[in-house]
Amino acid sequence: MPVDHKVSSLLPFLSSPKLLPDESEADFQSGLKSLLSELDNPSPLAVALISQLNESLWWIKRHTVDKELLLHEAMARLLSKAGSYSETYDNRKVSEALERYLDGSADKDEAEWIDEILAESKLTLSDLRVRAFKDAAKHIKMVDDLIHRQHQTMRHLQRSIDSIDYKSRLIKRMDLELAALESKQSVKGALTLDAKPS
Amino acid sequence: MPNHHRNLTNRCNSLKSTGPRSASGKRASSQNSRKHGLNSAPDFESSLEYQALVDLIAEEGFPAFACADIAAGLLNYRRVMDAYYDTYTSPEPVNEFRRDMNVKASNPIFSELLSPSRSEPQDVREMATFFADMQRQERRKGGPVSRRSADTHKLIRYQRNGIARLSRAVRQG
Repeated sequence: MPVDHKVSSLLPFLSSPKLLPDESEADFQSGLKSLLSELDNPSPLAVALISQLNESLWWIKRHTVDKELLLHEAMARLLSKAGSYSETYDNRKVSEALERYLDGSADKDEAEWIDEILAESKLTLSDLRVRAFKDAAKHIKMVDDLIHRQHQTMRHLQRSIDSIDYKSRLIKRMDLELAALESKQSVKGALTLDAKPS
Repeated sequence: MPNHHRNLTNRCNSLKSTGPRSASGKRASSQNSRKHGLNSAPDFESSLEYQALVDLIAEEGFPAFACADIAAGLLNYRRVMDAYYDTYTSPEPVNEFRRDMNVKASNPIFSELLSPSRSEPQDVREMATFFADMQRQERRKGGPVSRRSADTHKLIRYQRNGIARLSRAVRQG
């Protein structure tokens, strides 16, 4: 059975990958295909485990992005509280402006505005980042735990795949040995049959 | 109040309770505190997927008991990961008004609101403190990313148990 068929036959049991709206399904599938290509004719169970492995990799990517987002969130929060701006602050507005400022896509007014808030709070951009990291440390640690968990999950899955692969190779080897024995036996039998008339 | 008096009072008060009365109401309200459902014992054996999965694994030469274990382990792991995804995508929403409200700036508004009843400034201070506490609580939870990280972090142990069960079933099979 081709690998694609195995994947599609397993989908009803494994629930199709749920992606976030901004994620590309093509990327997800190409990752899965590249993992599957590393095994020679994988069994349905191996395919199932590899698809779980691919999902774990995907989660690691998501959580890595989350770490950056957490830092950004904390930076925006610090800025929104900074200086005299605290009288009329709006967290989302600062967050969006800061995002564009860091990308380098902020217009002149926005850039000046962020510079002004930074000056009022007597912070440089790197100071802000350091303080934000300190503030978000608790949540960043949580995300690190989540990433670590995915690594552990992948280790478990790899061990399981190895054991299936080893088992199938063992069965194949035993089949070959059996076939060799049988052929030897049949040759012997033929020889004894040949020997009898003489 | 002595213990038996308190018990009697509690029983009398419980009779006034307006909880659900119909069977469907009781069933619905029994799920009120359900968060992800991972603590309930799953019943995979009666599902159609389970049998089909067992058959599929049996074709690979695993013994019958191992097939059952692997299929249950796989479905259980999927159940955990589906709950993980649901928790990740639906964190507790941020109450932006509560988070961003300016308590200091609103003090005069409180005073104005309370003045017809000739309230003391103490009331205004208490109200401002109350709102400041609410705001602090809201901010402590962080933004949407912090919330979803904290929520998914609670599911780590289910994930650990789920994958360990699956891996053990496959390796022992």
